[in-house]
Amino acid sequence: MRALAPLAGLAALLAVPLVVTDQYALHILITTGIFIIAAMSLNLLLGYTGQLSLGHIGFFGIGAYVSALCSLGFQLEFTDRLVLTVAPKPVWLSFVIAVATAALFGFLIGKLSFKVRGAYFVIVTLSFAEVARLVALNWVSLTQGPMALNNIPPFTLGLSDAWQLTFYRKLPNYFLMIAIGAGAYLLIARLVRSRLGRAMVALKENESLATSVGIDVTRYLVLAAVVSAGIAGAAGSFYAHYVRIIDPDIFLFIYTVTMVIMIVTGGKGTLLGPIVGGILFGFIPPVLREVAGPELQWIIYGLIMIVVVFFLPEGIVPAVTRAWAARRGRAATASARSPAGS
Amino acid sequence: MSDPAATELLKLDGIGIRFGGLVAIADLSFSVGSGEVVSLIGPNGAGKTTAFNIITGFCAPSHGSISFRGQPLNGLKPHEIAGRGVVRTFQKTSLFDTLTVLENVLTGLHRLGRSGALQVLLGLPSVGAEQRRLCERAAEILDFVGLGGRQDQLANALPYGEQRLLGVAIALAADPALLLLDEPVSGMNATETTSFMAILAKIRARGITTLLVEHDMRMVMEVSDRVVVLNQGRIIASGVPSEIQRHPEVIQAYLGQGRRRARH
Repeated sequence: MRALAPLAGLAALLAVPLVVTDQYALHILITTGIFIIAAMSLNLLLGYTGQLSLGHIGFFGIGAYVSALCSLGFQLEFTDRLVLTVAPKPVWLSFVIAVATAALFGFLIGKLSFKVRGAYFVIVTLSFAEVARLVALNWVSLTQGPMALNNIPPFTLGLSDAWQLTFYRKLPNYFLMIAIGAGAYLLIARLVRSRLGRAMVALKENESLATSVGIDVTRYLVLAAVVSAGIAGAAGSFYAHYVRIIDPDIFLFIYTVTMVIMIVTGGKGTLLGPIVGGILFGFIPPVLREVAGPELQWIIYGLIMIVVVFFLPEGIVPAVTRAWAARRGRAATASARSPAGS
Repeated sequence: MSDPAATELLKLDGIGIRFGGLVAIADLSFSVGSGEVVSLIGPNGAGKTTAFNIITGFCAPSHGSISFRGQPLNGLKPHEIAGRGVVRTFQKTSLFDTLTVLENVLTGLHRLGRSGALQVLLGLPSVGAEQRRLCERAAEILDFVGLGGRQDQLANALPYGEQRLLGVAIALAADPALLLLDEPVSGMNATETTSFMAILAKIRARGITTLLVEHDMRMVMEVSDRVVVLNQGRIIASGVPSEIQRHPEVIQAYLGQGRRRARH
């Protein structure tokens, strides 16, 4: 039963394009899905180890830029004579390189958090994303700066030149997004249900008790940061090859904030939390755009957020789980009592 | 009692620590033999918990050395010291509050697990097998301390006495060779204390050496092989419980009340 529920969810997601055929709606689904994958990865850090990384979009952006540059090919000029030229790589290889690069930055940030925790960790991660944005903006010879990297090749799927599928259209990209999302979900679920995930939660719950039973908390924080950054990098890479144009605005702080909103409203430290919160806050803006003026949109957005946080401070998923358990508990006691009562 | 020097497990030699101008521990040397139950007693502020913090690596001594099984513990991190089998509990109840009782003990079992990141991410079958084995072990430990029926309750929903027991269960899960208990029965009533003493006897029967900090004199005198008395950061007496009860300096510093209570 417990194993079947995610499969049923996956089947439902795969069936969505049967109902939603509008291209614009499909585009909203894909971009929201990318955001949800990034939020799922941030949840590993924020929800499980309890460390707030406000620079998470940095990993996403690095994934996007690395993947785009690898697939386009680039030149690094160290001096006049020393020039490193990288020929365009296949998109799948660019994806792998992007994930590895983002994971490497995750490793560095995780190592750093050995020294800094709490507010300092927040500031360090925030600065990390901002520095990444400034690099992307100013290293014009590499990133084109504000002119943006464009004509990024889309994903292709094929064994040889004879049979090849290129992901220009929305529908195959939707399925690819679901595949990456399902993979990310599976990795995170395996991790948090293992002894490694318990060590991460132990760090959040009670660090001194965790160390007193022999848990090397730094090690698991680094592991969480590496996996989290790698998944964010994968989402970023997919984003780059889907929209096929990226500029330094990809690193904007507001995107990290949106991820945090998705996680907190959905329920941090739960597998489904970022998905539920992500669906809610991913779809609210495009829906509101249809019905309300720009000023009103953000007022409504803010109000919904405040209402959710105020009435369900732990998030939607934990609240629903508890209500469900309470109902089942009541039903169980009622059925146990009824023979005695009659 | 076996000769402690022959099977010395823990040895503190000339330990001292200063917090700013305050000398918390001046010069502390004692040892704990394998299989012993040794109690560290003394008035509040005598330096008992500080001694625990030093042994388990939570704070570094200003001078002196600590060794466990002949290997120095100085400079090791708390998790490394726990890794060698020196596990403590905390004076103030310390649990993973929002996890269930079973999850608390499973977290304590961390040291016994072997699956690494790659095995977990690949979802190898060995990971599931280990998980089942650890769950069984956790259930055993909960039965051992008498929390068998509480598995699925949240730790912070337990009554106080049971929270104390869960703290001990978490420490036991980490498979200690030397267990350091910091006031395990503080706040427990007489009945709970008596049943805790039975648990302590079972822990001992498992061959786990215990170093105990405790204010409850009835328990200290009953369970200890040896008692070390600290006052103002120094050892003022040490010996078997009957000697300690008669020691004039100890009576003056600390035990006056305990004797009066023992009379009626």
